[in-house]
Amino acid sequence: MKPTQALIIAAGMAAVFLSPVAFSDQLADIRKKGELVCGVLGTDEPMSFIDPATRTLVGYDVDLCQVVARKIGVPAKVKQLAVAARIPELQQGRVDILSATLTHTKEREAVVDFSLHTFITGQKVMVRRDSGIAKLAQLAGKKVVTVKGGTQEPNMRKAVPTVDVVTFETAPQAFVALQQRKAIGFVNDEVSLFDAYGKLGAAQKDYVVLPESISVEAIALGLRKNEPALKTLVNDALRELEASGAAEKLFFKWFGPNSRLKYGQRSFKIDSDRI
Amino acid sequence: MPNFDLAAVLTDEFRGWLLDGFLLSIELTAITWLIALPLATFIALCRLSSVRVARGLGFALVEGFRNIPLLVQLLFWYFAVPELLPEALRSWLYEHDAEIVCAVAGLTFYTAAFMAEDIRSGIRAVPVTQLEAARALGFSFLASMRRIVLPQAVRIIVPPLISQTLNLWKNTSIATVIGTAELMYQAQRVETASFRGVETFTVVTLAYLAVSLLITALSVWFQRRFPVRAP
Repeated sequence: MKPTQALIIAAGMAAVFLSPVAFSDQLADIRKKGELVCGVLGTDEPMSFIDPATRTLVGYDVDLCQVVARKIGVPAKVKQLAVAARIPELQQGRVDILSATLTHTKEREAVVDFSLHTFITGQKVMVRRDSGIAKLAQLAGKKVVTVKGGTQEPNMRKAVPTVDVVTFETAPQAFVALQQRKAIGFVNDEVSLFDAYGKLGAAQKDYVVLPESISVEAIALGLRKNEPALKTLVNDALRELEASGAAEKLFFKWFGPNSRLKYGQRSFKIDSDRI
Repeated sequence: MPNFDLAAVLTDEFRGWLLDGFLLSIELTAITWLIALPLATFIALCRLSSVRVARGLGFALVEGFRNIPLLVQLLFWYFAVPELLPEALRSWLYEHDAEIVCAVAGLTFYTAAFMAEDIRSGIRAVPVTQLEAARALGFSFLASMRRIVLPQAVRIIVPPLISQTLNLWKNTSIATVIGTAELMYQAQRVETASFRGVETFTVVTLAYLAVSLLITALSVWFQRRFPVRAP
């Protein structure tokens, strides 16, 4: 075999083997497919939850998904995921992006890319008032509950190393366990925690949200690694959302004075992806 | 698999979690088995009894627990049953690993329902004339069972009971949904912390398979050593 022939064959083989990697572009695939599939939690009011009136998934995360889909020019489709299933489902291509209260962490950067931060929230602990606990440190040796597969459990153990953490498939299940007195505290993202507190109604007097945060979480959209075209487009869509003032409106729609959370102001802007 | 790396999920920390989970799964199997077997025998005897109320009770227990998915039962035992208990008992339970107690309770009734049917069919496989002959010779019902029928039935019953033990071992994995820190629960923790789902579940699959094969081997050995005798 002449060297040139060998070279042509080698080049041909390289093209066959490398092309799906080198030339595949998720953005083009999404356009071809004609829809953007976003993974959301659906159990995390007001980020994403099922509206009892319409029986559809709504929330801040769902609206962000629609913002990205509009920018691409395809309809959005939301798919409900368990907290622990988020990253595996994204990696295996069953959803195109994650809009699922995903915290941006250094460890996760090894496996997924993150958009600009779409929300900043602390993680806090809600305790039963009769437990007499007023500070995080008093949770040493006590049992707290939270959801599986998120950053809640590792952050809680970092904050109070001797705490006993029991995890459930969804945050609402963990919250029921707290209400049934199976644990002393319930750990979750601040917004979800205040929302749960808001739902308690008259029973609010029996619970306290500890003022100290166990961590500050930068929430972002999760993207598959090495998809620069899609990442640029997503970030452009988010920047436009911020510049037009629509991001501010979206925040107050779900978290503002007319919502259960009653945030008076927005303490962050969608402008950074640094942690 | 481009970067399959078992070592990534077998660091000291992760190995410790997985080992804790494995031991708890074994404990759940052992404790459940020890409670389920006498319960199953009782239910089987109820169903074979000549007393109508006992037969009804046995029937209700078997059909109730056998026909509801285990996942549903475990959630029920954890989230609903304790709320029905008296205050003192409930607070005692919540201070003592409610996740484990409720898992054992759920697994016990579920497993006992299946075991009871295996025991009952084993007893029924011994010709009824054996019981009649024993009764005719003046043995009481219980004595006829203990001395004549059961020794013959045991050889028939044990292999399917070992098979139910195998199911029990696998079913312990469902307890993860009520926060019981068994092998599956710890596997999910390792997966979350390491982002290595394939490796984690490879290790866990091998662990479940190893114990399952041991139980299967036990069944094969028993059937060779104690074959069923034709009466």
